[in-house]
Amino acid sequence: MVVKPNTTPDLEPLRELIRHHIESFDYLVDKGLEIVFQSIKGVHVHDSFINKNLRNILYNSSVLFFCIKGFPPLSMSKMCRQAKISYTGSLKADVYFQWDGGAPIAQEFDFGQFPIMLKSKLCHLRDADPQKLVSRREESSEMGGYFILNGLERVVRLLILPKRNYPMSMVRNSFSDRREGYTDKAVVIRCERKNQTSVTVKLYYLRNGSARLGFWIQGREYLLPVGVVLKALIDTTDHEIYESLTCCCSERDERDKGAVATQLVGERAKIILDEVRDLSLFTRLQCLEHIGEHFQPVMDGLENECYSAVAKAVLEEYIFVHLDNNYEKYNLLIFMLQKLFSLVDQTSVPDNPDSLQNQEVLLPGHLITIYLKEKLEDWLNRAKKLLQDEINNKSKNFDFCNLTHVKKVLDKNPSKQISSAVENMLKTGRLVSKSGLDLQQRAGFTVQAERLNFLRFLSHFRAVHRGASFAGLRTTTVRKLLPESWGFLCPVHTPDGEPCGLLNHMTSNCRVTSYFDSEGDIRDFEKIRRDIRSFLIGAGMMSPQPMLVKVGPPKFLSVLIDGHVVGSVSSNLVEDVVANLRRSKVSTDTMIPHDLEVGYVPLSLGGAFPGLYLFTSPARFVRPVRNALSPFEKGQNIELIGPFEQVFMEIRCPDGSDGGRRNAFPATHEEIHPTGMLSVVANLTPWSDHNQSPRNMYQCQMAKQTMAFSSQAIHFRADQKLYHLQTPQTPIVRTSAYTRYGIDEFPTGTNAIVAVLAYTGYDMEDAMILNKSSVERGLCHGQIYQTETIDLSDQGSRSERSQKMFRRSNVDKSMHSLIDSDGLPYVGQMIRPNDPYCCIYDEVTSSTKTNKRKGSEPVIVDYVAVDVKNKKPLQKVNIRFRHPRNPVIGDKFSSRHGQKGVCSQLWPDIDMPFSGVTGMRPDLIINPHAFPSRMTIAMLLESVAAKGGSLKGKFVDATPFASSVKKANVEAESEYCSLKKADGGTGSKPGLLVEELGEMLKEKGFNYHGVEVLYSGVYGTELTCEIFIGPVYYQRLRHMVSDKFQVRSTGTVDQITRQPIKGRKFGGGIRFGEMERDSLLAHGAAYLLHDRLHTCSDYHIADVCSLCGSILTTSFLQHQKRAVREIGGLPPARAPKKVTCHACQTSKGMETVAMPYVFRYLAAELAAMNIKMSLQLSDGA
Amino acid sequence: MDGGLTYQRFPKVKIREMRDDVVKFELRETDASVANALRRVMIAEVPTVAIDLVEIEVNSSVLNDEFIAHRLGLIPLTSERAMSMRFSRDCDACDGDGQCEFCSVEFQLRARCHNDQTLDVTSKDLYSSDHTVVPVDFSDPNEPAEQRGIIIVKLRRGQELKLRAIARKGIGKDHAKWSPAATVTFMYEPMIRINEDLMETLSLEQKNTWVESSPTKVFDIDPVTQQVVVVDPEAYTYDDEVIKKAESMGKPGLVEIEAREDSFIFTVESTGAIKASQLVLNAIEILKQKLDAVRLSEDTVEADDQFGELGAHMRGG
Repeated sequence: MVVKPNTTPDLEPLRELIRHHIESFDYLVDKGLEIVFQSIKGVHVHDSFINKNLRNILYNSSVLFFCIKGFPPLSMSKMCRQAKISYTGSLKADVYFQWDGGAPIAQEFDFGQFPIMLKSKLCHLRDADPQKLVSRREESSEMGGYFILNGLERVVRLLILPKRNYPMSMVRNSFSDRREGYTDKAVVIRCERKNQTSVTVKLYYLRNGSARLGFWIQGREYLLPVGVVLKALIDTTDHEIYESLTCCCSERDERDKGAVATQLVGERAKIILDEVRDLSLFTRLQCLEHIGEHFQPVMDGLENECYSAVAKAVLEEYIFVHLDNNYEKYNLLIFMLQKLFSLVDQTSVPDNPDSLQNQEVLLPGHLITIYLKEKLEDWLNRAKKLLQDEINNKSKNFDFCNLTHVKKVLDKNPSKQISSAVENMLKTGRLVSKSGLDLQQRAGFTVQAERLNFLRFLSHFRAVHRGASFAGLRTTTVRKLLPESWGFLCPVHTPDGEPCGLLNHMTSNCRVTSYFDSEGDIRDFEKIRRDIRSFLIGAGMMSPQPMLVKVGPPKFLSVLIDGHVVGSVSSNLVEDVVANLRRSKVSTDTMIPHDLEVGYVPLSLGGAFPGLYLFTSPARFVRPVRNALSPFEKGQNIELIGPFEQVFMEIRCPDGSDGGRRNAFPATHEEIHPTGMLSVVANLTPWSDHNQSPRNMYQCQMAKQTMAFSSQAIHFRADQKLYHLQTPQTPIVRTSAYTRYGIDEFPTGTNAIVAVLAYTGYDMEDAMILNKSSVERGLCHGQIYQTETIDLSDQGSRSERSQKMFRRSNVDKSMHSLIDSDGLPYVGQMIRPNDPYCCIYDEVTSSTKTNKRKGSEPVIVDYVAVDVKNKKPLQKVNIRFRHPRNPVIGDKFSSRHGQKGVCSQLWPDIDMPFSGVTGMRPDLIINPHAFPSRMTIAMLLESVAAKGGSLKGKFVDATPFASSVKKANVEAESEYCSLKKADGGTGSKPGLLVEELGEMLKEKGFNYHGVEVLYSGVYGTELTCEIFIGPVYYQRLRHMVSDKFQVRSTGTVDQITRQPIKGRKFGGGIRFGEMERDSLLAHGAAYLLHDRLHTCSDYHIADVCSLCGSILTTSFLQHQKRAVREIGGLPPARAPKKVTCHACQTSKGMETVAMPYVFRYLAAELAAMNIKMSLQLSDGA
Repeated sequence: MDGGLTYQRFPKVKIREMRDDVVKFELRETDASVANALRRVMIAEVPTVAIDLVEIEVNSSVLNDEFIAHRLGLIPLTSERAMSMRFSRDCDACDGDGQCEFCSVEFQLRARCHNDQTLDVTSKDLYSSDHTVVPVDFSDPNEPAEQRGIIIVKLRRGQELKLRAIARKGIGKDHAKWSPAATVTFMYEPMIRINEDLMETLSLEQKNTWVESSPTKVFDIDPVTQQVVVVDPEAYTYDDEVIKKAESMGKPGLVEIEAREDSFIFTVESTGAIKASQLVLNAIEILKQKLDAVRLSEDTVEADDQFGELGAHMRGG
């Protein structure tokens, strides 16, 4: 693993990691918008007065095109970041107007500035190579996938959704609360239309044996008897319905393996049919009219249609919307009923909605699509209302038949707000929607893509959130790590604490299917489904003819393609069919897409409902595994599998063993590499397989808060805060992921010589000692770049433009050393706290105002960027400051093994222990107690390996689980040699890792175990035991004392209580709370307690009237102005204060008492409630 | 002397190897405190000259000002003069502002890249006002090829670096940049005694494995007599490997290794600021000065009663 400079790193693996973001947006641009526009129904406006109709159709021609907004296109995205504006293009579409069925007239509308995802098809960086990217002031490895909104980079968070078009059986207590008679069982299907909007349909089971179909319209759930729907869908007879429902039960099979139906099904079928009869609905038309009658009020735009048309619209728009044929819907409903009954009869188990098996993901492009559709519909509806109002007003100037007049009215409903609504959604992550878009949450859809370091940035694109609604749940079930997510979600990379288990990260291998095929063409899903169907029929599937007598499990299995019942396969045949499908899946020359999910649920005794479920849809998780049965050449046998099918597959580990399955279930597939189950960040931990697992989790967290080399284009960025490590290094001990993902472009730490010993006592309790000289030579030096944006145009009132400008005051010369004549600071100038850094001149008041630095540390002006877009005078300025942040006591560091520590001393070099042989002094000392309980063996290995590696001048490969692949290498060498073989230090030598590393050291004359004899730096004598010492890659974490320390002697106090205020920013104190008080009490430290809580807080001397006991009625007596003789320039002697009690009208009983000021406040508050507090004073005891 | 116990000893130094940058010598007849004191002084208290103040006029390079200043500071400068120079803090010629010829050396650096090739700004581009204080030249005079000094920063077309730097005298205790020593280390001279009788009980193969057990080449087997001989006692790192090996072979006491408490083998490696040999001499000089400071201090006289003989010893008695 030799790092060659000057070779452009292969960025493809990195691109692959965020492909799903870009592809989903690309689809929106390519096709999604077109489909949305087509699927929006036009609105009709009827002028009853002149009896004319207007049909307003929204239809696009050229939908979105990129328009340059007046700044040089060369560095557009960079400009957006600097100028704090959004990276957008204009969205234009044709709106058609049609009067009374005449020829439609197209009219172009500008729908405003639509946010554009970086590196998407609309972005100017789309096909830029690294060189071009650099010339455009971007990162050379820029991957895009995010939006720039107001200069901030935001990513759409991937959200878990229920798998589309798959009927899922569920048991939930809330179902039984729906209405009287409902049970907790239902079959739920989330149906997705072509335009990516979805409707969830639930089929509830009733206690009487019947079922209800529930779906939501405008925030209300409507429940229909299933029989009515069945009959309304197609012309059918009771007999047929009965036959279809009971097809899967025969008395013979009932006890057989895989039987799903019991005799009760027949009873239930009868009940369902009876229900319909009780409603005296017999024909399809009657059913339709029954439905239509109930739904007419809620269906927009169908007020004047007949009932059956309304009913048809309901069936079309709300029931099984992924299917467009009523026969197909009928078949699916029958299937769902069978599944429901099987669930009720406990012949199959409910599907787990928390399992990845039944989930897919919400992609940015899809979210925007559905949001945009709703906004467009809203716009049309508002337009309609405006026109209708105008007609009803019968205003003279309005001619309904005149396009310009109509347009003028429509202008009241600005079309530009469509894009700004989308922009706002991305800016805030909040959906402003009436319908809720069939999503579980309203907020939290986007997050800021922080560039704290590259790993954190990258993780934003790989993170998958379970949904905000689950965060509040008290149960931990949704957070559990389920075996179904193996290989798709990283078990290591999830945060600790509140979002634990809800915010997961995709593994490095995991991909998300998209609308694009491998060639980059948009897929024709219709055709793909047809192809699969004909393939299946060729393989022996029977097409469903609703009239035929059907057969169900265990003899026949239903086949569903994307929620469409396409037929059934004999259970004897199904294994072959599946094998056949898989074979064609991996082969290149078939029509079967390579990411088809072949969810074959086999017959079982009370397991999951059997069937063959095929999924072609986008937004599914997939990951590559090797098809062991496939006869194809090496590298050609990679199969993409999904979480649904994975559960029923036999996948072995690549260590060559059978994983204990013996011959019972021969493995059909094999993992490519065990590291595939880890996320990118988790893959960077060397030998993570030797660590205690929580330590790897901590490392994933800490890697993301490391102060690292965050950006190569740091000079052109205007982030609010950017951490930067001055002298980063690439780790000596590295995993293969470092090279694969080009992490060396953004290194995160330094190789420090670490000695493990208890020295001086300053390394207790996870503290660590840094060598002062090492720090002085540049170890872990760093800066924080902080940008202040000053925009004069949006300050204060917007009455007159350019009333403020940057200009230096000529009167006050004191600031001239800091501020140049243009009112801005000199670049390179150091600015201390409370120094001015820019000067603003107000023309109206003709006064100057300076902006002063806050905080407690001096900063250096790094860069001043001005916005010269709108000529003179200068209005917008970015000033970037540089905070030098070299290591000091209290800064936090960590190794890559979850071993964090705080620097407790910068210890002089000469006092550090040294090696007699090499003279080497450690850079860093940690305490040996950090190891026994944490068991981070990999850190010890890293130390030994890095020592050997640095002696040999070679990087050491520390890819976890390498040994379990190597073994297979010996057995079936040809299989794996194409794959990244462990290179570098760990050669092909068999044996233990430790032995290899030990030998490496011994070869170079060092101790086998990595220990060395050290001498005390203070005494020059040999330390009594040998010390474990070697280089370990250390990360500097962003938590620094300079940002956190809080001290106060005296300072601002609260207005009301006169107690010190809180908050570091305001120079407040640290709360001395109840528990602190308790501990002082326990120590009996009464004086200290009094000091903390009283003297240093709101000490107050109050005048109390001992006669009435009041502290509120006292007041100072106004002195008669007595001429006080001034003595020799001294200030006049303070006259003794005369205090009286208002209530007693005397000053006789006045005493002074020391008390907390809040006590006086309490007395005042009580007095406000008409409660008098009186103090009884006594002397002494 | 009064015939009492005397602490005075006369350490001996034997130089083994002397090059410009490396010196190896033996220090005998003294104890660890002296050896370590010498080591500590060499690292932290021998003065050198290093760039301490940088005034940046133009810097359009990719590195920020502090970074460049820090890099400049770490460039070793030839500091033969350092011992005779003044610390700028107690220089009376310039009232301590540290800009006079007695306590400082000025450097100029002007570099600008005019063509498309990246320009390396190196320590060679630093122009000194004093020809005795210049950046250390590591290049081999026989091979003047591509050795261009220590790189400070790389410039692209149009980038410029222009600065004035002031080098001052200082010691490594204040900042590592003033440390003249790359490495100073000493080890106790080992005394290795092989128990020949016990050794003879071993077979040749056993001897071989035993010899191999030491990570460094301390022992060897005489090809003629097949006896184990000590070839390089100083290669021994006190790792106890051979002793552990002997124990595991069931032959404890096969070899006895002792550290001689009064002999030290020093390795001194210089950064190039001063010659390694000079570094040692300077260190001794400074150590002397420090002892003088103790001896002459009034506190020492007062503390005489406490120290008794030792006090007399310190005064040179």
